[in-house]
Amino acid sequence: MKAVILAAGEGTRLRPFTASEPKVMIPVANRPILEYVVESLIENGIRDIVMVVGYRRQRIMSYFGDGDDFGADIEYVVQKKQPPHGGTAHALYQAKEKIDDDFIVLPGDNVVSKNTISDLLEDITPPALLITRSDSPSKYGVVTLKKGKKEIDNLIEKPEESPSHLISTGIYSFTPKIFDYIDESMKERKYDLPSVVQKKMEDKEIRAIKTEATWIDAVYPWDLLHVNSVALGDMEKRINGLIGENVIIKGDVKIGEGTRIRGGTFIEGPAVIGEGCDIGPNACILPSTSIGDNAKIEPFTKVQNSVVMNGVQIGTNSTIENTVIGEGVRIGNNFSTFISDARVQGDDGFHEVREIGTMIAEDTEIDSGVIVEPGVIIGKNCEIRYGRTIRENIESEAKAI
Amino acid sequence: MCGIVGYAGPKNVGDVLIRGLERLEYRGYDSAGVAIRSDDEIYVQKKKGRISDLFQGDLPTESLGIGHTRWATHGKPADKNAHPFLDCQENISIVHNGIIDNFNSIRDELTEKGHEFSSETDSEIIAHLIEENYDGDFLKSFKKTIRELEGSYAVVAIHKGSDELVVARNQSPLVIGIGSGENLVASDAPALLDYTKNIKYLQDGDIARITNQEVEIWDEDNTLVERETKRLNWDVEDAEKGGYEHFMLKEIFEQPKAIHDSLLGRLNNFEDVDFSKYDVDSVQFIACGTSAHAGYVGRYIFEKIAKVPCTVEVSSEYRYTSSSESSPFTIFFSQSGETLDTVAAAREANRRGCDTLAVTNVLDSSITREVDEVIYTQAGPEIGVAATKTFTTQVIILYLLAIELGLARGVLSKDEAENYKDELRTLPRKVERILDDKERIKKKTKRLAEAEDIFFVGRNINYPVALEGALKLKEIAYIHAAGYPAGELKHGPFALLTEETPVIALAVRDQTFEKMLGNIGEIAARDSPVFVVGDENKELKKLADERYFIPKVPPLFSPILMNVVLQLTAYYTAYRLDRDIDKPRNLAKSVTVE
Repeated sequence: MKAVILAAGEGTRLRPFTASEPKVMIPVANRPILEYVVESLIENGIRDIVMVVGYRRQRIMSYFGDGDDFGADIEYVVQKKQPPHGGTAHALYQAKEKIDDDFIVLPGDNVVSKNTISDLLEDITPPALLITRSDSPSKYGVVTLKKGKKEIDNLIEKPEESPSHLISTGIYSFTPKIFDYIDESMKERKYDLPSVVQKKMEDKEIRAIKTEATWIDAVYPWDLLHVNSVALGDMEKRINGLIGENVIIKGDVKIGEGTRIRGGTFIEGPAVIGEGCDIGPNACILPSTSIGDNAKIEPFTKVQNSVVMNGVQIGTNSTIENTVIGEGVRIGNNFSTFISDARVQGDDGFHEVREIGTMIAEDTEIDSGVIVEPGVIIGKNCEIRYGRTIRENIESEAKAI
Repeated sequence: MCGIVGYAGPKNVGDVLIRGLERLEYRGYDSAGVAIRSDDEIYVQKKKGRISDLFQGDLPTESLGIGHTRWATHGKPADKNAHPFLDCQENISIVHNGIIDNFNSIRDELTEKGHEFSSETDSEIIAHLIEENYDGDFLKSFKKTIRELEGSYAVVAIHKGSDELVVARNQSPLVIGIGSGENLVASDAPALLDYTKNIKYLQDGDIARITNQEVEIWDEDNTLVERETKRLNWDVEDAEKGGYEHFMLKEIFEQPKAIHDSLLGRLNNFEDVDFSKYDVDSVQFIACGTSAHAGYVGRYIFEKIAKVPCTVEVSSEYRYTSSSESSPFTIFFSQSGETLDTVAAAREANRRGCDTLAVTNVLDSSITREVDEVIYTQAGPEIGVAATKTFTTQVIILYLLAIELGLARGVLSKDEAENYKDELRTLPRKVERILDDKERIKKKTKRLAEAEDIFFVGRNINYPVALEGALKLKEIAYIHAAGYPAGELKHGPFALLTEETPVIALAVRDQTFEKMLGNIGEIAARDSPVFVVGDENKELKKLADERYFIPKVPPLFSPILMNVVLQLTAYYTAYRLDRDIDKPRNLAKSVTVE
């Protein structure tokens, strides 16, 4: 059986972290979200994968190649232009030529596990939709079932008031006939899968299959912390690299090749540190932290429950808590984040976020002695000069002198 | 990255195997071999080297066989380590991809039982273990053997008294091709596509028996299973390029990873070369083509970081210079390690009493046997004829060497060294930022594609980058291009500047920046379209017709970034002209002639 992964979108609500890579390539526990999807398919014996790519597709293609390194055969199709309001059906349609049998389709931007996919495979007769429970259903497509049955009654996208706690995972099984339905639907200028499925439901029932296995979505930048901590959950201890004297490593910690952990550093897992990093001496890495490749963390700096991406450099005596730091960010000494509940301004308005530090997008440079208030989002490629206190969001490319 | 092919059928089996192996060449390899069952004997031929060189003699034409290409990552490429392997009695032959985790214990057991091994590989034990388990039923003994293996594997085995290929897979790819009156097996579908498009994918734990007539598959519980046959509808090359239109573009985009891999383990603990063994008071770099340009960049890097005087020679010239009194420490560059002129130059340098070091991408290649020290660029296989990621990684290696030499000579402080290393760490990310801008760079190439002559000018460490940019353009776009030190234009080439001759000017904020601004002004005054690549600057914005500013980086490290811009510039110019980018006319990837 083939699987089609939809990986063409940017994931705009995660801006500014999608400035140079699509949401599917954002790392959690140091691996792109999309890799969890690919791996789960392979673990279920599905190796023929068609990826629909678009936004910043080179990132995806350079990472996965022809799939060999992952034990899969990956083909790519390009969704050149996206329809204005969501276009999952339009994206899927691009894979039409590659499909001649029953298949499954899944979004590339949700972290899933082996069991998530096997729940669908166990009862796969198409058409079927994998559903799950959610505590905040109104962010998603809410599903209602026919009374006492497994068939779907209705699928409502992001309702203000949600009629149930069941949501669509976006993972479907279809026959190739779906492409005819998409064809019809696109004639009516409806380009998203839920619309197509609504239409299909009129003549053939779509069965809902419920899963309780992992299905997590990072909708906004602050969600990355939760997704990261979940992904770190099933990590095994593996220490490579050079470990200096008096380094204490507790719990499940993974350290990549070529990384140097200098003397006196304390690391408590679950935590992952990538390849080629330089950490310490006397740094402190606390649980639920991911540090990417080629990062440098200087002495007496504490990093806790945070996502620190590739190539980040953080100076001495700094505190990084509940914080997301994008690729290539350089931070001086005595930098501080704080945790508190905050009203965060996202791309689509204000959100109440619990226990948040700050979010700093790629390539921003921050001089020594900067303090950032909780919930602040700093854009990409900004320059922030000595000793500033940052109280509100900073636009990308801005200079705060 | 090894490749496997197996065939059972009426065609000339030697030809089929070699064709299949050639289809897997893109994965890179350093040795290859085949085993063919013919007249109840097993005929094996295997060697380190190119497929085309290996099998020039006649191979048996029937009736079934297996083939393998090996790309050594650990352990040397050598005839004896090439696959296929035989058991003691030469009844059984196998090829294997993957890693057998419990190979030490199996090997010890087998040695105790009297088996003798001809190689150091984990793969060879499989042949001997089948021999040990053999009781007249080949398939049964194969199944028993596979159950004893731990690790990852794709294995194909043949027995001299049997008409079947027996195969197993676990965590290494293996696919079966279904033909009519013939069946095949391979590690990757491209090897099969010349013969069939009907493919069965094996799953982890599967064992299969393949004859020319039938294919039987058992799953991990030894239950006979049916695996779906699929018809492939993609063409071979596309699969290998992983979504990219050309290998060259794929390789350009692989550079952040190639830089990362070349730095890996070396930034924190450099063990490749111990300079304290050598008394280095001058350095010379010797290479050809793009590698020579890396040498020119190296000169600036070494003079700045290691404070040592340097010269650069082209291999084919060096050999015929008169022997000089001095014997500088000599560094050779060759991607393949087989460049004949460079290998010969290394021999000559030895004769002249120089200490020698080779920078190459291919493990145990010819040049490594001619020199005192070797350091490998970890660029991975490069298929596109125009060198891209190998140049980038050569320059990365130069920074690392210069830092180590500077420390060994006592001219570089530990603190300065750390600062340089911090800069190196940021390079993968900065290259990625340029790659993200490919569409912008593509737009700027419109005027270049219409030109007949293009000049590249740079100063200081970016002068060799101008040479390399011009070379790339010549190679793949077939446009005449010349690289000059910016100050040299007015000593002649100025006569050629018209509004039809674009000039690509490289300008970074080093000590030559003001001079460069002056040079660009002079060029603009001749009405030549100026395309500036460099550090962001207001003056430059005014002077240039087109501009691309690189991410902020100290001038010393700018060549890596500047060159990536020029690679994309050459690529998109050639693309507009519809050139055969991966195989430019008259050029070969590895130049093994003088």
